[in-house]
Amino acid sequence: MNGLDVAAVVVLGTLVGLDVASVPQAMFSRPLVAGLLGGVVVGAPLPGLTIGAILELFAMDALPVGAARTPDWGPGTVAVGAVAGSHPSGIMASGLLGLVVVAVVSAWVGGLLTHQVRRANVDSVVRYRTALEAGDVRALLTIQRQGLLRDATRSFALASIALALGDVAASLLARRWGGSQDLALIVLAASSIGVVLHAGWRRAGPGLQGLWLLGGVGAGALVTVWLT
Amino acid sequence: MPAFGRVLARLFVLQASWNYERMQGVGFGYAAEPALRALEGGPQGARYRAALAREAHFFNAHPYFASLAVGAAVRAEMDGEPPERIERLRETLCGPLGSIGDRLFWASWLPATSALGLALVALGARWWAAVAFLVLYNVVHVACRVWGLRAGWDHGLKVVLALQSPALRAASRVAAPLASVVVGAALPIAFAWQLRGASERTWLVAAVGAALFAIVLRLLGPRASGVALAGALLALTWVAGLLWS
Repeated sequence: MNGLDVAAVVVLGTLVGLDVASVPQAMFSRPLVAGLLGGVVVGAPLPGLTIGAILELFAMDALPVGAARTPDWGPGTVAVGAVAGSHPSGIMASGLLGLVVVAVVSAWVGGLLTHQVRRANVDSVVRYRTALEAGDVRALLTIQRQGLLRDATRSFALASIALALGDVAASLLARRWGGSQDLALIVLAASSIGVVLHAGWRRAGPGLQGLWLLGGVGAGALVTVWLT
Repeated sequence: MPAFGRVLARLFVLQASWNYERMQGVGFGYAAEPALRALEGGPQGARYRAALAREAHFFNAHPYFASLAVGAAVRAEMDGEPPERIERLRETLCGPLGSIGDRLFWASWLPATSALGLALVALGARWWAAVAFLVLYNVVHVACRVWGLRAGWDHGLKVVLALQSPALRAASRVAAPLASVVVGAALPIAFAWQLRGASERTWLVAAVGAALFAIVLRLLGPRASGVALAGALLALTWVAGLLWS
């Protein structure tokens, strides 16, 4: 990755981070899209899409319900998607494992930072409370702008750190990985599918909804057998 | 741009200043503001300032369905409804709009379209899978925002009528089963895609591992986070692999 690529990845990561809650919540921040975007920046969409698809499975665990603080997958996935795409020889399962770890940590840190941004937004509201109660539109605009700026700063930091860590994980540490590639593959597949299986069952429950889920699993299994 | 269009555009930044005190309140006021300029006396008038202050008070609902409340509140302000009725309307709508939106979008439409996107990737659709996910999700998302604002704008204080629409009821009935089926179907397809080219033994171990992982999460109870457990397992494997060398 050259300097321009790095700048583009960080800018894209920042924009994707804003999508999570601030603007426009159009799901550009979902790993499936964010990973692809990261790959596109470095001219290799497919590796980015691959890691994005794996992370999408993990992202199905938590729903952004109510005022819940959920992991923020966007900026980190853009970064690791770009790292995956920037390795022309392709990423082995162990490298993928390292990038997934970086993205999971980044998503978790992103959730924590969102909490800090929301707390800082309270400070803005407190500072402008009198103006807000007087119906001053400038106070409203200032609070909105400050909120956006804080969220952009959070996303920028997240994308930058994930990019740096992802690069280290993929290029330096993956070469030293002494475990088998099969082990990395098994752990990735088992944990990602296990997460969705649990999340799907938790939401569906043992009643009729559970039957719909099982029916879907059966249909998916048939499609898989038919195709292989 | 007419006021309706400006309010609609601003609804996309409803949560820009989300905070633990007023939650979406400031964004609500910001979204409603262009329509309030038409109040008697204009942006310098007392009615405008009183309405703006009121609309920036506490509010929290599903971000897409909040458009219904914004439209209804704007209409109520334009109709000169008593302030306490407008305040009550806003408070009353928080729960139902949050509940409907969470069920329809976060618990159903998002998992369903996301699972469909995953299945498409696994079936070889490449980047079209992500595009299909985005388009499919956002057609319904944007339609919901437009419908909500229009319905609120038309009904004002009687906005509850919009929540009883047959389309919304039908969507509530269909959404959860649809999500369950699509997520279920995506599971084996995504599993096979991840293990393409692997030996039968690897498939078997991974399948048993996935089932065990889900069972362990189930045993850990509702507060257990799948991502946290998966992250810990992946990190441990990774570190073990590094130390092995």
